[in-house]
Parts: sequence; C-alpha cells; structure tokens
Amino acid sequence: MFLTSCSGVKQLSIFKEEVKRQELNLNKPNPLVLERIKWHIITSENAEEVFKKLEAEGIDPVLFGLTDKDFQLIAKNFAQIRNQLKVTNELLDKYKEYYEGELKNE
Amino acid sequence: MRIYIIGLIILALLGSVGYVLKLQRDNAILKDNAVKLETAVAEQKAIITKQKEDFEEILAANKKMNELVSNLKKDLDDLDNRFNKDGRDFGKVALEKTGAIERIINKGSDNASRCIEIASGAELTEEEINATKKSEINRECPGIANPNYVPY
Repeated sequence: MFLTSCSGVKQLSIFKEEVKRQELNLNKPNPLVLERIKWHIITSENAEEVFKKLEAEGIDPVLFGLTDKDFQLIAKNFAQIRNQLKVTNELLDKYKEYYEGELKNE
Repeated sequence: MRIYIIGLIILALLGSVGYVLKLQRDNAILKDNAVKLETAVAEQKAIITKQKEDFEEILAANKKMNELVSNLKKDLDDLDNRFNKDGRDFGKVALEKTGAIERIINKGSDNASRCIEIASGAELTEEEINATKKSEINRECPGIANPNYVPY
C-alpha cells in the first residue's frame, strides 16, 4: 500500500515556443514610366527624304539602323524581357500575399 | 500484543488515508491532463485545417502562375506570327508600304513600351480593363493589358 504511493501519475506538460519572424516589408519598386521612341524606316529609295526631314526638324541627320530581321529579334527580345518582368513581379506578389497576408489576418 | 494490533490498525488507517489522498491528487492531475490533451487535439485540428488551406492557396497560386506564363507565351507567339504570317517577308512589305509599316511599328513600339510598364507593376487604365474588341486592345500583350479580352 505504501509502495503504490511512490509511483504516481506524472503531470503532463505541453509547451510550445513560437517566435514570429520580423516582417521584411520592403516596398515594391515604382512601376516604370518609359519614354516613347520613334522608329524610322529607311529604304534605298526614301533615305535622302528621311535625312532631309530630320534636318528640317532640327534633328541630327544620323540614324542607328537595324535590318528587318534584327528588328524582329529586338521586338522578340523585349517581349521576353517584359514577360520575365511580369512573371517575377507576379511571383513577388504571390509570396507577399502568402506570407504577409497571413500576418495581416492574425 | 493488544498494543501491536492497535498500532497495526492505526498504521493501516494512516496508509489508507494517504492512499486516498494520493488518488485524489492523481485524479486532479489526470483531469488536468485530459484538459490539456483536449486543447492539444483542438490545436492540432486547427493546424491541419490551416495546412489544408495553405495547400489550396499554393495550388491556386501555381494555377494562376501557369495561366500567366501560358498567356505570356501566347502573346510572344502572336508577335512571331505577325511578322511571319503566311510566309510574309516583313522586310519586303516595309519596302512596298514604307509609310504604313512605319506607322504600324511605331504604334507597336508604343504598345510594347506600355506592356513593359504594366509588367513592372503599373495600374491598368479603365480603357485597358474594358477593352474587349481587337481594335481596342494592346496587341502586343493582351494577356496582361486587357483582362476582359477574349480572343476571337
């Protein structure tokens, strides 16, 4: 009878330790505002006319050229850069929404 | 002899009282443990529910990202098609219709610049949001510029 008193039920202790991580809270960069550029198409036939027009407008009669193929490539390159920018921005938004949205709801 | 018997009875009584007190203490502890276990189970259930919600949110985010990537790829393919549609030689067309092509590529260039602005986080204008016709959309990137446009 005395011996049974020695082995008692042990008190269950449940403890948890949660340390919340500080929010990063970096501001998103401002959206770009791009300058609009003007393209000139120069052929062997209109070259003289194009340069005269530039001079008349007070613009240096010098042009930096691309062939039609390279124009297509630059257009596609820009489209790819744009797509990557969009995907990266969207990913950033999703991460922010997933992690920081949760904190706001608490 | 009688004293021994009385002593034994007293000891037995004291032991019984001690045992009952111990049982009471154990009972209190067990009740406390049961409450804690119930709380722990409830917390675990809440965690499992939250995990389910998280998985759903992750799936939805993945789906949306895949849709975006697919739309962007379509915009890129459309650009390629416009240059080379039906074996068209863009250079030859530019030679034949220089003025018209110059206007078209300048319009396209402005649209492409706007696409980059949108991709970098610029807000869509009402006009862009409400565009549903081909003549109203930004043909360079309808996938991100015109959310209400359904290709036809």
